Formats: sequence, structure tokens, C-alpha cells
Amino acid sequence: MTGIEWIKAASVLGAGMSVGFAAIGAAVGEGYTAGKANEALSFRPNLVGDILKTMLVGQAVAETAGIFGLVIAMLLLFSPIEGKSVLTAWAYMGAGLSMGLSAIGCGIGAGLPAGTACQGIGRQPMVSGQLSTLMLIGSGVAQSTAIYGFLIALLLLYKQLPMGMAIVPACSMVGAGLCMGFGGIGPGIGEGMAAMEAVSAVARNPLTVGLMTRTMLVGQAVSESTGIYSLVVALLLVLSV
Amino acid sequence: MDIMGADLVKAFACLGAGISMGLGAIGPGVGEGFAAGKACEAIGRNPQEAGLLTRTMLVGQAVSESTGIYSLVIALLLLFVV
Repeated sequence: MTGIEWIKAASVLGAGMSVGFAAIGAAVGEGYTAGKANEALSFRPNLVGDILKTMLVGQAVAETAGIFGLVIAMLLLFSPIEGKSVLTAWAYMGAGLSMGLSAIGCGIGAGLPAGTACQGIGRQPMVSGQLSTLMLIGSGVAQSTAIYGFLIALLLLYKQLPMGMAIVPACSMVGAGLCMGFGGIGPGIGEGMAAMEAVSAVARNPLTVGLMTRTMLVGQAVSESTGIYSLVVALLLVLSV
Repeated sequence: MDIMGADLVKAFACLGAGISMGLGAIGPGVGEGFAAGKACEAIGRNPQEAGLLTRTMLVGQAVSESTGIYSLVIALLLLFVV
């Protein structure tokens, strides 16, 4: 096999991993949201407009991680490969792993508060605005590690690589992809769980919304820390090539 | 392409650093999020105890963070020492 064929093979594999893994999280998160919305509607069928709107907004946020995976897959499939170093093959595999795996957690994490917000609107229709705002803040923070994964994938895609094969840079780039990819799963799910309980608490007692937003953000910030460690190690690995 | 033994060690150290920090981040992320979620739930039930509950949440999260920091230390050791 020539270098070009290796790069082509790696871009196809990377695109598959990127969109395939990313689809897991987005689909689970959106399904959870839809399930909770149905549960809420069975108790309060007259609130169909509000609940359906919140469900769709929450699902759209959960979908973004899947769309990131799709964008990286398209970039991998359609980027020109003529005259590239054979090391590009390894960079492409790293990019697919980084984007795909990191999107798993963020899709699930964004779906959890969205589902609870639908349930909360069924319980307290008067505060649906506050619940939607808190849900959007929580889901937005839960997306952050998918954005780190997207960033590392773009860095790997557009990096200028030395010609010729060497095993150390090849393993560094796959390692960076694995590091950011797996590292994004935990914080995504964890931040989603924090946002879920915050939304559910506001639905029980709407007066605590300020306190709850603060506690949620402090908890999510601590939960984010391992995602940031992963980003740092992945950047060290990418930039050392 | 001929691979020297030292290159192979360095290459696998890079791969190992990525796997160490990547997998090591899953547990603390989920665990700290769980603690934050339960703290939110508890403060929602009893807002007067918000200070105590936030403090307890942060202590619990700090303990849960420790394995993430072990992973970071091992990843940095693999990157810069091996």
C-alpha cells in the first residue's frame, strides 16, 4: 500500500468513528428527553405546547454534539490528501477518536436536564421560563467537553506534519485523540447530572432559583476539571509532534 | 521504516499518557457531577443549610478528584520522564 492509500483508509475509519460514537450520546440524550416529556404529558395533557417546545429545544442542544461529529466526519472524508505525509493517517484516526468519544458524554449530559425540565414544567407551569433558562445554562456547560474534542480534532486535521513515517509522532496523535475523547465522557455526563438535579429542585421550589444556579455552576466547574486536564495532556501531545 | 527500541518506548509512553488521562477522567467527572446533583437536590429541600451542603459537596468532590489527579501525574510522568 502507498502512503495515499493509508491516508484514505484512515480518513474513512476516522469518519466512521467520529459520527458513530457521537451518535450514541446524542441519541440516548434525546430519547431520555422525549421519554420524560411523554411522562409529563400523560399527567398534564393541557400543557402540550410548553412541554413540546422545551423538549425540542433540549433535544436540539443534545444534538449539537452529534452535529460536531458529523462535521468532523465530512471534513475527514472530503479533505484533499494529495502530497500529504503518511503521518496524516494517524492524525486522522486521532481526530475521529477525539470528536466521537467526547461527544458521547455531552449528548447524554445535555439530555438529562432537558428531560427533567419537561417534567418540571408539568409540575410548575408558572415557572417554565426559569426552568428553560436553567436547563439551557446546564446543557450548555455540559457541551463544553465536546467543544474541546472538536478543537483537538480540528488541530489534528490541519496540523502541518513532517514527511516520512516515525512511530513517536504517530502514537502521540492517536494518544491525544484517545485522551480528549475518553476524557470528555465523564465530565459531560457528570455536569448533566448536576444540571438535572438543579432543574428538578427549582421545579419543586421555584424560590431557590438563584441559589440553585450558583450551586449547579460551582459543582459543574469542579466536575469540569478532569476534562481540562485531558485537554492539557492532549494539547501537550499534539503540540509535541 | 526501522524502529529503534527507544523510539518504541517513547511512542508507547505517549499512547499510554493519552489512555491514562482519558480513561482516568471518566470516573471523577461522573462522580463529581453526581455529588453536585445530590447537593442541588438537598439544598432544594432545605435552603437554610446551603452553606453546610456546599462545603460538604466540595469536600466530597475533592476526594473524588484524587484519581483524576493521579491520572494527570502519571500522564505527565509518561510524557516528560520516560
